[in-house]
Amino acid sequence: MLTEEERAYLWLCTAEEFDYREKVTLLRAAQPAEIFLHAEERAEEILHRPIVTPLSMREERADALVKALEQADAFVVTLFSDDYPESLKHITAPPLILFGSGNRELLTKRKFCIVGSRVIPPWAEKTGKRIAKELASQFVLVTGLAEGGDLAVIDGALPSGNLISVLPCGIDCCYPAAHITVKQKIREKGLLLTELAPGDTTRKYTFHARNRILAGLSEGVLVLAAGKRSGTLITASAALDYGRDVFAFPHNVGTAAGEGCNDLIKKGAALVTCSQDIFGWYGMQCAEREELPLTEEEGRVLAILREEGEMHLTAIAERAGMKPFEASAVLSALEIKGAAVKSGGNKYSILS
Amino acid sequence: MIAKIVCYALNGLEGVPVEVETDVNKGVPSYDMVGLPDAAVKESKERVRSALKNSGLLFPMNRITINFAPADIRKEGASFDLAVAVSLLKASEQLVGADIGDIVFLGELALNGDLRPINGLLPILISAKGHGFTRFIIPGANAREARFLGGAEIYPADTLLDVVKHLVGMEPIPPLEMAEFVPNAGRSTSADLKYVKGQPMARRALEIAVAGGHNLLMSGPPGTGKTMLARCLPTIMPDLSFDEALEITKIHSVAGVLGEEGIVSERPFRTPHHTATTVSMCGGGNKIVHPGEISLAHGGVLFLDELPEYKRSTLEALRQPLEDGKITVSRAGGTFTFPARFMMCASMNPCPCGNYGSSERTCSCTPSEIRRYRKKISGPLLDRIDLQVEVDDIHYDELTSSEEQEDSATVKARVDAARRIQRARFAEYGISTNAEMGEREIAQFCTLTKEGDGILRSAFERMHLSARARSRIIKVARTIADLDGSEDIQPRHVFEAVSYRIFDKIG
Repeated sequence: MLTEEERAYLWLCTAEEFDYREKVTLLRAAQPAEIFLHAEERAEEILHRPIVTPLSMREERADALVKALEQADAFVVTLFSDDYPESLKHITAPPLILFGSGNRELLTKRKFCIVGSRVIPPWAEKTGKRIAKELASQFVLVTGLAEGGDLAVIDGALPSGNLISVLPCGIDCCYPAAHITVKQKIREKGLLLTELAPGDTTRKYTFHARNRILAGLSEGVLVLAAGKRSGTLITASAALDYGRDVFAFPHNVGTAAGEGCNDLIKKGAALVTCSQDIFGWYGMQCAEREELPLTEEEGRVLAILREEGEMHLTAIAERAGMKPFEASAVLSALEIKGAAVKSGGNKYSILS
Repeated sequence: MIAKIVCYALNGLEGVPVEVETDVNKGVPSYDMVGLPDAAVKESKERVRSALKNSGLLFPMNRITINFAPADIRKEGASFDLAVAVSLLKASEQLVGADIGDIVFLGELALNGDLRPINGLLPILISAKGHGFTRFIIPGANAREARFLGGAEIYPADTLLDVVKHLVGMEPIPPLEMAEFVPNAGRSTSADLKYVKGQPMARRALEIAVAGGHNLLMSGPPGTGKTMLARCLPTIMPDLSFDEALEITKIHSVAGVLGEEGIVSERPFRTPHHTATTVSMCGGGNKIVHPGEISLAHGGVLFLDELPEYKRSTLEALRQPLEDGKITVSRAGGTFTFPARFMMCASMNPCPCGNYGSSERTCSCTPSEIRRYRKKISGPLLDRIDLQVEVDDIHYDELTSSEEQEDSATVKARVDAARRIQRARFAEYGISTNAEMGEREIAQFCTLTKEGDGILRSAFERMHLSARARSRIIKVARTIADLDGSEDIQPRHVFEAVSYRIFDKIG
């Protein structure tokens, strides 16, 4: 149950009557409950402009918010809460209020962000998933809820529960709508977070604003794949603005889906191929990776695949001196063991 | 005088004997038909009248009553014309001394007395033979179809007058000589696997699919030869046996799509367009029920090009026949069961623009577009497709290369060998291919080694497979082992089988 003060704060932070700067000015000058009850006078006095919403409507709005939060089983973290993430306070325009649903304790742990565009090469998706899984032993992973890169991180980190997914919409909405079950699972094991009031839907700018929270929450940001104009680059540039570490996967020269990553590396982002790179950066120990038990044939095919990174099945078969269907059986074994991945059109890519 | 002549009505794929009774009496001239004839049968009045006159025979100016017995079956079509005409002749005493006895008369009359062919002749002949009739007079144009029925005297006639002359012994018609059945005698297509360039994976999938009777889905960019590959399927399928050919011919005969040859000697290859309705696929009709595309594909291949473009409801209707091998169509006029044991081969683009996974061109589809496109095919239907294979983008060099590819005959030999193993294995189980195995047969014939089971377990966990997909993988692995001539299912067989499930994403 929220106190009067919290209820007023909730109303103020989500009020459409004021913009962000006005809200900050109001909060500096008066208590939220005071502003809530006497908004007309305080606005006149502090902001030197009138507002027209009567008290009854403000009450109504506050009640609706409280009810929506209860329905969504969500909690509220204010800028003054003890567990408001410290790192988020240091960014420009920190969210005045955060709505969360799930494991609240994750807020205070060390956080690391991994993002990737929605269209992402299969190798980057698999490798990203593995890195997310490995990093989740030391960090809480921060990402969005979209397909492609975000989903890879969710798949990797969710089993450990160390996952925060920041939404570009209200806590009771789901974007993309197809990920409703994913969202439900994150709520059960990890944490959903947003600065938007319940009922708010996505707008163009909400993605932009959400990306600043992704960067703000985390110590570093790893970009799995980003095109030249990808939205993930907004997260990376926000991270730079806030002085966070930026990491990126290297991509083949000329691949449209990876141009943004290569640009980041050119500009000084750290090149990452495995989780050890990130653990090393932060001076952490990490568990040695177990050698995959491979048969002689699998080892041979893997060695061939390693030379070129991505190869067509026929080419692999020819080099290995096998029939194509024999090679396909071996590759399918490698795929199940997590050493290779099918990248469409009967081509296979190596996974590190 | 009363005359009784036997002819046959068609009920689904079965012939039902109908007696045409004609009574010619003194009285005011009239011409009535009773016994539930439909419009086309009633119209035979006029055809018979003209045919008699134009053949130089006499149409009795008496009180004529024609009865079709049994009266409770609805009689349709024009196949009763000849029987009506003959019974009229007999009742008006124009066939004195003719040996009509138990001859079955089938055929439609033209106004000038010519006999026209009828649909569904073969099923009628087979049923009638089963009922003990051995002598038939049929339209000459149907002779090709009839000559494959042994153990019966069949007289093909071209005109009504020929029939009369035959009956009264003036010019007996020589009985039809039985023809020998030659599989693939009328093969018309030039499709052969040797003309397919590259595509090792797709070729292999085709071979496995045919060897085990599995369903197949090919996914690939436009213009890569998916249709051409599919057209090669009948060329590597085992030859039809005579009984199979007769069964297929029955269906084609009823549907009226039987070719010149008179018998279906090659496995059917049906390609209904994606605008096909559910009824055209499954069979149906207003009063008389016609077999649909899936029944016409019985014993052969149903090729669905551009699978996601088909109407969802049409595809879902295929699910049950895919399992049961038959379709039961219920209409007001009755319930009919048609056989529909076909191999389904489908093709689709990997995404709406067709370039997903292509090395040359970039795909311009968003993930949600691709998801929507693939979602058009329901999970349950996908589960029933054992083999899913990607077809490669062809490069110009490959197209122009003169390298000889394996031809259909070589592949067919391997398929035949695998089929022999399966027939021997299932001799006592009433099935003939691996794809038809139920849980009981799987448990008995598809024991996995401990290693193989481990593979399947990890594949199962990583690919989020349904229980049905698991047994499908095992069945495919069994077929691969059969092609390999291996008694046990080895791990490599399981791995290969897993690689043919591209739509179950490995997580």
